[in-house]
Amino acid sequence: MKLDLDQLRELIRLLDEANLTEIEVEHDDDRIRVRRDPSPLVGPAAAESVAPAVAASSAATGLTPDSADEDSDYVTSPFVGTFYRAPSPDGDPFVDVGDSIAPGQVLCIVEAMKLMNEIEAEVAGTIVEILVENGKPVEYGDRLFRIETG
Amino acid sequence: MFEKVLIANRGEIALRVIRSCRERGLRTVAVHSEVDVDALHTRLADEAICIGPADPARSYLHIPAIIAAAEITGADAVHPGYGFLSENPEFAETCAQCGLQFIGPLPEQMRQWGDKVSARTLAKSLGLPTLEGTGLVVDVEDAVTKAESLGFPVLLKASGGGGGRGMHVLNSKEELRAVFETARAESRAAFGNDALYFEKFLERPRHIEFQILGDKHGNVHVLGERECSIQRRHQKILEEAPSVALTEEMRSDMSATIRRAMTEAGYLSAGTLEFLLDESGELTFLEMNPRIQVEHPVTELVMGIDLIDEQVRIADGERLKLPARPLAPRGHAIECRINAEDPETFAPSPGVITELHMAGGTGVRVDSGIYGGGRVPPHYDPLVAKIIVHAPTRAQAIAKMRRALSETIIGGIRTNIPLHQRILDHPAFEEGRLSTHFLDELQG
Repeated sequence: MKLDLDQLRELIRLLDEANLTEIEVEHDDDRIRVRRDPSPLVGPAAAESVAPAVAASSAATGLTPDSADEDSDYVTSPFVGTFYRAPSPDGDPFVDVGDSIAPGQVLCIVEAMKLMNEIEAEVAGTIVEILVENGKPVEYGDRLFRIETG
Repeated sequence: MFEKVLIANRGEIALRVIRSCRERGLRTVAVHSEVDVDALHTRLADEAICIGPADPARSYLHIPAIIAAAEITGADAVHPGYGFLSENPEFAETCAQCGLQFIGPLPEQMRQWGDKVSARTLAKSLGLPTLEGTGLVVDVEDAVTKAESLGFPVLLKASGGGGGRGMHVLNSKEELRAVFETARAESRAAFGNDALYFEKFLERPRHIEFQILGDKHGNVHVLGERECSIQRRHQKILEEAPSVALTEEMRSDMSATIRRAMTEAGYLSAGTLEFLLDESGELTFLEMNPRIQVEHPVTELVMGIDLIDEQVRIADGERLKLPARPLAPRGHAIECRINAEDPETFAPSPGVITELHMAGGTGVRVDSGIYGGGRVPPHYDPLVAKIIVHAPTRAQAIAKMRRALSETIIGGIRTNIPLHQRILDHPAFEEGRLSTHFLDELQG
């Protein structure tokens, strides 16, 4: 199909304005699906052309450009608070780089209002990177761990 | 004094608080939801913390997230703004328990004044004039007796109702008999109880409110009135100070009454007492708002005072430095609330601000949370800016507001500026003939 960039921009604008997560347009044999957050978008026909445009739209809303397609590889903080890697100041860390993790396994603690909230893994995988230093504050949505899944 | 203030709000009021804090040399912490990551309050505060997703219940209303944000930034005081958690006594209590100075009234005062029925009982016991009303009615015959003793027209209200719901205006006992059982069933269905009572119905009331400030040393000051009769569905749209409907004598009498009452109540921080003014010139207490209000700038301009800064000083335990005699208003101020909405249908109009030019010049103040290229998210209040003017006379203030609106450009979204222009151009508005039905009549 021939891709009309103006049309595409219009779709992205619509998506944004109406606060939708997905729009799909079908005409004859052409199909364009514009989708944001969290996993990659698009019908097969337009995959290559649409992805960059959507990344641009994410940037406009203030998300980092790669967050749209890579979020699933990160564990993010569900609270504002203080990040702890271990259950006690002199305890061993819950996990380290290279460790295999299973769903439900405790990865760290985020302390908020004197409450120790254990953050559990939602998927199986391997810890590739620990992105926050022990004892540092984290905001809602901050990335804590990078994980290789599968 | 505390050194770092967390502002538990967004939009123009968050900026308003940041500004006063900065002038006082206090550091500021903004909290924001994910969609507000590029909002102006997020950008202008010294620090900003993302506390949750767009849904207010999980961000701006989520007490643990806000307290945690204060903890990780080392903030030692919290200003709640208006709306959101500003009148939530649990929030004020939690702040205190966590060693954070809450900039506002005491939790028990929020409880006392937050419930409309108990607020009126309290107001009456403090000697404030309240609207004539009856106790709960037993049956239809009791209702007729009570309504006749009050005198038609009356307002039949559901005890559990609010925001204008569950009300019937009745002009005669025949109308009352016809509607009584239906009203009772409606109340039971809508509010879970069928308790009904009567209030005197005022045909064309004005909405008049008085600004107060109280400190921790038992001093209460009354800072004149605002007229907020221009409303749509109980939402104020345009406010002014002073009101043309009050004589100097009415103003000073009511100020003295309120000062006595609220001193006795030991009221702390900024608050507003709302009244209805009937055509005979009688003011009756409606409700009390224990917080700073959207329309506070008109009072600031005619009284020459920074109400947010006074709240901060009061929270720190300082004494009010106001003269013993009530301040007299100087000149006239008008505020237009600019909402992101269709001026005809009132449908919300969120989106990206493509271009922006705010009014300026002498006597014009703009309190706003938007900027060119910024977004108005669909999740929150449609108020995007307040344009406030100050001039020696009301006629000059109207002319100044017309001028200010004519040079305001907000591209990319629709706003209610055309509605404000119609209000300002209406002969009844120019003559100061206002009532809470003004807008209905303008549009009807």
